[in-house]
This record gives sequence, structure tokens and C-alpha cells, in this order.
Amino acid sequence: MSINNTEKALAEKSLVALEQSGFDRAACRVSADELHELQAENAEINLFRTNFETDISLVGIKDERKASMSINRVDDATVNDAVADLTAMAAGSSPDSAHDIAPQQSHEIFSGGIEEPDYDLMYDRVSEMQTYAAEKYPLLNLRSTGITFYKRRSCYVNTNDVCFQTNRGLYQVSISFSSKDGTDTSSMMYTGYSGYDLDTPIFEATNVDMLLQQSTEQVRTEHIPGKFQGEMIISPDCLTDFLGFLLGRIGDGSIIAGTSVFKDKLNELVANPMLSIESRPVDDALTGGYWVTGDGHQAMNSTIVDKGILKTFLLSQYGANKTGLDRAVNAGGSYCVAGGDTPYEDLVGSVKEGILITRFSGGRPNDRGDFSGIAKNSYYIKDGKLAYPIQETTVSGNMVDLLQNITGISVERLNFGSSILPWVKVSGITAS
Amino acid sequence: MQIAEIDLGKYSNRFSSYTELRLHENRSQSIVLLNGDVVSNARDTTGGVSARVFNGGTWGFSSNPDMSNDAIDGTISAATRNADFLARRCGNEDAALPLSNASADSDFSTKKTLKTQEEKIAFLTEIDNYIVSSFPDVVSRQVLLSCLDMEKKLQTSEGSNGHNVTTRSLIAVKLTTENENKEPVELSEAIGARGQYEDVFESMDTIIPALDKLYAQLLDKKEAVQPISGYHDVILASDLAGILAHEAIGHTTEADIVRAGSVAADYLNKKVASDLITLVDFANTYEGETLPVPIYLDDEGVESLDAVIIEDGVLKSYMHNKDSAQHFGMPLTGNARAFSYTDEPLVRMRNTAILSGSSSLDEMIASIDEGYLLMRPTNGQADSTSEFMFGVQMGYEIKNGKLGKAISDTTISGVAFDMLNNVSMVSDEMVWSCAGMCGKKQPMPVGMGGPAVKTKVYIGGQ
Repeated sequence: MSINNTEKALAEKSLVALEQSGFDRAACRVSADELHELQAENAEINLFRTNFETDISLVGIKDERKASMSINRVDDATVNDAVADLTAMAAGSSPDSAHDIAPQQSHEIFSGGIEEPDYDLMYDRVSEMQTYAAEKYPLLNLRSTGITFYKRRSCYVNTNDVCFQTNRGLYQVSISFSSKDGTDTSSMMYTGYSGYDLDTPIFEATNVDMLLQQSTEQVRTEHIPGKFQGEMIISPDCLTDFLGFLLGRIGDGSIIAGTSVFKDKLNELVANPMLSIESRPVDDALTGGYWVTGDGHQAMNSTIVDKGILKTFLLSQYGANKTGLDRAVNAGGSYCVAGGDTPYEDLVGSVKEGILITRFSGGRPNDRGDFSGIAKNSYYIKDGKLAYPIQETTVSGNMVDLLQNITGISVERLNFGSSILPWVKVSGITAS
Repeated sequence: MQIAEIDLGKYSNRFSSYTELRLHENRSQSIVLLNGDVVSNARDTTGGVSARVFNGGTWGFSSNPDMSNDAIDGTISAATRNADFLARRCGNEDAALPLSNASADSDFSTKKTLKTQEEKIAFLTEIDNYIVSSFPDVVSRQVLLSCLDMEKKLQTSEGSNGHNVTTRSLIAVKLTTENENKEPVELSEAIGARGQYEDVFESMDTIIPALDKLYAQLLDKKEAVQPISGYHDVILASDLAGILAHEAIGHTTEADIVRAGSVAADYLNKKVASDLITLVDFANTYEGETLPVPIYLDDEGVESLDAVIIEDGVLKSYMHNKDSAQHFGMPLTGNARAFSYTDEPLVRMRNTAILSGSSSLDEMIASIDEGYLLMRPTNGQADSTSEFMFGVQMGYEIKNGKLGKAISDTTISGVAFDMLNNVSMVSDEMVWSCAGMCGKKQPMPVGMGGPAVKTKVYIGGQ
């Protein structure tokens, strides 16, 4: 991937304008995005899109008063107007000594992925997916299939002599589908992944084919026999819905507000020792990562939960300054959950009565972690076998307890580009 | 150059087939006070030009942030090339779209002098100070101002044109207290309306009653009991009816979702609900009042019309864009909207509401021996099966016709058409919400409204 210095020149020019307007500390990020998208709906390829986008994000701090602004026009007049507005916004704000910008770091250039899209290959992969689905799963309706080539060149600079240039191009693939047989309809399902190439047919990527097959089975569903407390196997497709409570409650908002149930749990056991979670934004295996945090720090990989023990909060520089705790070495995301020692089939085989959940349609958990929601595209498990797809089944529990109640993790993991996740089995779930 | 100054009509001779040319700018502002500290003080202006071209049943789209003459020309050319590429690969020469030719201009910008950032932060601080001085049990509070202005100028090859500016301003307040186990208990409220900040937030007079009500309910929630899971008689309060209309019915009857396999495809002109239910997606006006998200011309240049989805319990129609109207052979409704200049228009709801009935809320509560009054929605989702769910952050038990203890957060669910068939009372009030942000592929501001409704739903819980 080549580096174009256009964004760097614009960022440096904007930074000078911020300094000249009187800011003590300032930062600027300039990004140039390209998007090339091919989309099919209802098994017909029907949209080809090319978007070009620029973005200038400006941050200024004066007398401990901070403001930020984002614009997408790069002419001098627009940038100068934005700097003037930013000055007025900061002047009108309240001082807070926790506001700061990233300290001096060595100038770096990062790049990854591919430079140009291959339109014909994009078309062929989408077309091939339509044909495969139509031939193998006649009940299936591919509601949408999309392949997007997305490229971003970016440069971050600040007045502490930080300069990071980045360049990444990748493909993002998404599909959504449901099945229909007569008047029987399955729930909608969707999945997606990102990668640096399109070498693999879509139906062979991650667990796409398994989901397509399950969708056709799910046109006819049954109620579970009755309310029960049992186990639940969480598919990688919705695992982040259940890990999200922990990962969301260790960030700036909840920790600064003091409302997180994990606020006093650093270096304590918050999950079963089977669970280890890393955030790996700088990992060639994860195409959805990043090299630089939003507040201008070079990102590094980190362990968030190590054998059940919470090893770090996900605090930004502001959050760290505000709480006196350590800044995280990244901004979260790119999560990798360590695989376990049980094959997926054995995980299912070990369940006496439970649910395999593939999509969770739930209300936001409250601050205590209580949750309830609908198990969509899911199965009733009885005596170690997937008995039948289910309808109108609510699962409920507590997210804090759920982490402690992990009873198994699969060997197999799926790489979505944005995360690498296994199947996770938990106990103590109420299904009704 | 500003959008208002650009003449799009002069590009009409550049259109080689059906084309939509749109200038579009979103201007947003966010200020967040967390426990009194300004943790976010941000503005964002994102805009540009987009063109969408129809050729042989396929669409080409392109966008550019630059709105200069050359960039607009180049964007039309790029979209035309993209459509040609697809037409060559998979086009159908017989494909057509319904015609439309409409014009509409609207501008909901304030005519008042704009407030400075300092004045807005001072107002939020006044709210924060009121919370601190008046609500002793609050252990954490967040006050958030969120404003969004969307300006669009459209020209189509069929001659439709318009210049429309929609605005809305919201203040979201989240209060947290602790129960006797020192566990957090929170409750939030969004206060706001169509309009820019200066027109919506003129004084504390409109804010204080909402805050006082929020705190009173928060104190009730400190003592909350878990709802009993299962099917129950419930009253969905008027502030829930909007999300009910949007999530439970609205999405299922968007024509692109119907075409993709929604169960509503099998129910047209059939009885799907109690006679008490009439549900409409209003374009811009209800009983002479301008609604929260007034749309006069959609992003395909179609006049926005009210779409009557359910009338006296019968499913009458769907919401359409040009593609779906052509597919189903139905009239256009003007529901095609795009969130950003980089987005293509999709079938989107505007102001979706269940119409009011004749019962009073007190009568409805008195009619239930054992059940729940549910209020204050959080998030929601719908499905092609018409199964819906949404989160509820406040509610009360009903026992022997009277309100009992508050209940803790829960999720309610059901099959939309079953739930509608079970509606036995509809209240005589009509409450509109401006705070909705729908997430169907692109985010989109939506209005929602309705009365209180008595029905049966499934309540999640232990």
C-alpha cells in the first residue's frame, strides 16, 4: 500500500491554523475514504456505488476548555471558518484539567491491505452466491448481498509532535436472508466479515453455509416445552451481545460516572477462568483493526480478561486523567476470545436441556446486568441434540452472572475480520 | 457555495436516463455533561452531492463531498457509468419505474438569533444544577444535547425538485440512583421536538416538569420488583405506542421488507387487528399540526402522502419507494429517504402512529385485575415473522384495577398481528415522540405517536 502525503499536508496546515488561533494544545486528523460497493437485493444485483469522502477532525484545548469539530470540505475558507467556530465553542465550554492530547511519539507510517478493488471479481462473487443459494436452498431468499471495497488514507497530527499516517484497503462482505415456504416464514438472519481478498466464495466463508441451511430449517418452528432453567450455547454470531456488557462497562462513561458494577474489579475474577479476551487492533489476522487510537496514541494489543481475571479498563487518555487510573493501550474492539478444549459438536452433546442461540434480539441490559430478550434463529437442545428450531422464546439472566457461569468454550473459532470468536456455553439461563 | 445558492436544474441536460441528483448536508451538534463536567463539546458538518441513475433495472450511485460544478458533473458521470456497468452485466431492457413529478420546499430552521455555545452549555448546566439541588438520591447524572439539521435539495430527470430543511433538538437526561443493595438503578428521558435549539428550548419551564416526573419514577424504581415472566394483560402507555407502531407493525409493512418475505405479504386486505386499530404512517401533518419529522417530497422526487397501513383492523397497504411500488403495482407513497449524501434512498417510516380511541387511561387500568402498566421504551427490533421485542425501563404492576409497585427493566415481545388482535381498549390521548432514530441499514430520524393500548404481550423476566 502506498502512502499519499496529501492528507499529511492538509493536517499539518490545519494544525497551524489551530495554533495560530490561540489553542494551547491541538490535534487534527484528515481522512480520505473511497467506497466501491456492489449490492444485490432479492437475488438481483441492483446497485453499484462509488463514494468518495473526506473528513477533517479538529480538536482544540485552550485554558483547559476543549471543543471538537468535524467537517468534510477541505477548501481554505471552510477550514478557517471551522477553526474560528471551534475557538468560540471552546471559549464557551467549562475548564477541565483532564483534557489533554497525546504526548510526543515517534512518527510512524502504517499500511495494510489492498490498493484497488476488482470489480469483476466482486460481481462474480455476488453472482456466484446468488446461484449457489438458489440451487442448494430453494426456500431461501437472499434479501441482500453486498461486497464493499473500502479504503481509508488518514493522517493524525498534534502539537506534541505526533504524526501517524495510515492506509488500509479491504473488502467487507455482508448478507442478510430469510426463508419462506408457503406462508411459513423464518426469522431474518445476517452475517458479515472483512478480508484483504475475495479468494473464498462467500458461502465458504466463516459459518455462512451453516446459517443458510439453518434458515431453511427455521421456516417451521416450535415453542419450547415449557419454562426451564438450563444451559445456553452462544454462537459466535451473537457472542459480542453477551460480552458487550462487560466491555461497555469498563470504558470511560461507566467508570467515570462510577456506575459500573466492575469499577472495583480490576485484577479480580469477573468470569470463569475458561474465559480470556484480548483486544488485538494490531494483528494481521484481523483486517478490521486500527493502528492509532482516536485520541492519538499508537495502538497496541492487550489482554482484557486473562483466565477470568479483569486485567485492564478501556480508558482513554481523558478517562485515565479523570479517574487517576491507567490509560488502556488501545481503544478496544478487534476482540479475540481464546478457544477452549471442547469441539463444537461435543459442546452441543453435553447439554441436557438448553438453547443454541444464534441471534439475540434483546433490550439493553440495565446497569446491574439484568437482561431478557428473544432467542432468534435458535434451537432447542434436548439430551445433547439440536431438537428443533424455536419460536417466541425469551431467554433471561444476568450478564455478570453469565460470565461466571461459563461451562465450556469450543475449540473452533470464526474470524469475522473484526473479531475472532468461539461458541461459548453458559448455565443458569431461564428460557420461557 | 451554500446548497441554497446552487441551481440543480441546469444539470438536467446531463441526465441520460432516470436520474436523481441530490445536494445534502447534515449538521449535528452534541454536548454532554457527565456529573457536571463537559465531556463532549462537538459539532459535525457532513455534506456533498450524490447522483443515482436507473438503467435496465439496476442502479448506479456515486457521491462526492465537493459541490463544485465540476464535482457535480463528475458525480453524475460516475453514477451513470456505474449503472451502465450493471446494465451490461445483468440489465433488463423492459425494466421501468413509476413516474413522478412533484415540487416542495420547506424550511424548519429558526428565525431567531442563534444561541452561542456558551449559552447552550449554560442552559445544560442549569439543568444539571437543578438535578443536584432537587434530587438528593441521584448518585450520577448525564445531560446530553443532540441537535440534527438535514438540508436536501433534489432534482430528478422527471422534473421533480425541492429544497427542504428538517430540524430536531433533543436533551436526553439519565439519572442513576442506588437501591438498598447499593446496586445502580437508572432511568432516562429524552425531551425535545422538531425545530432548532432556539425554538425548542426557550426556558426551564418545559424541562422541570419532565425532570420532576423522571425523578419520582426513579424513586419508585428503587423499590422495584421483578415482573413475572409470561403473557400478561398490559397497558402500553402512550409513550410506548409509537415504538409499538414503528417496530411491531411498521417494519413488517415496509414494502421492501414485504418483498423480501415478510408475513405481511400474505395478509393484504385481511383482518389483522382488532377493529379498534387504525395505523397510519403520516407524511407531515396530523389534524392540522405539523408532525415531528415532516416530509413533503421524498428523495426520489415523489410527493409524500399519508400511508394508511391498517384501517379498522384491516391491512390496507404498504409503504413504498419507486422500486417496490413498481413491483407490487401499487401507488407511490413517498417513503424513500436517505440519511447521508453517501446513501441511497430506502423505504423509511416518517411519523407512524396508532390513532386514538375513546377510553380513558384510568378506565383501562381499572379494567385489569392482574397485569402491568408499561412505559418508557428503550430499544426495539422487528422481524419478517412480525415477531417484535422492545425494552421497557419503567412500569408498574396493576392489581385489582389499581397501580401497584414499580417493576424493574424488562423486555416485552409478541407476534405483532396476534398482539393487535388482542387489543381491547385504546385511550383517547395522542402523544407524539420526536426522539426516534431508526436503524434500518442507515440511521434515520423518525416520528412516532399513539394512545395507550390495552392488549396482551409476553414479559421477559426470571
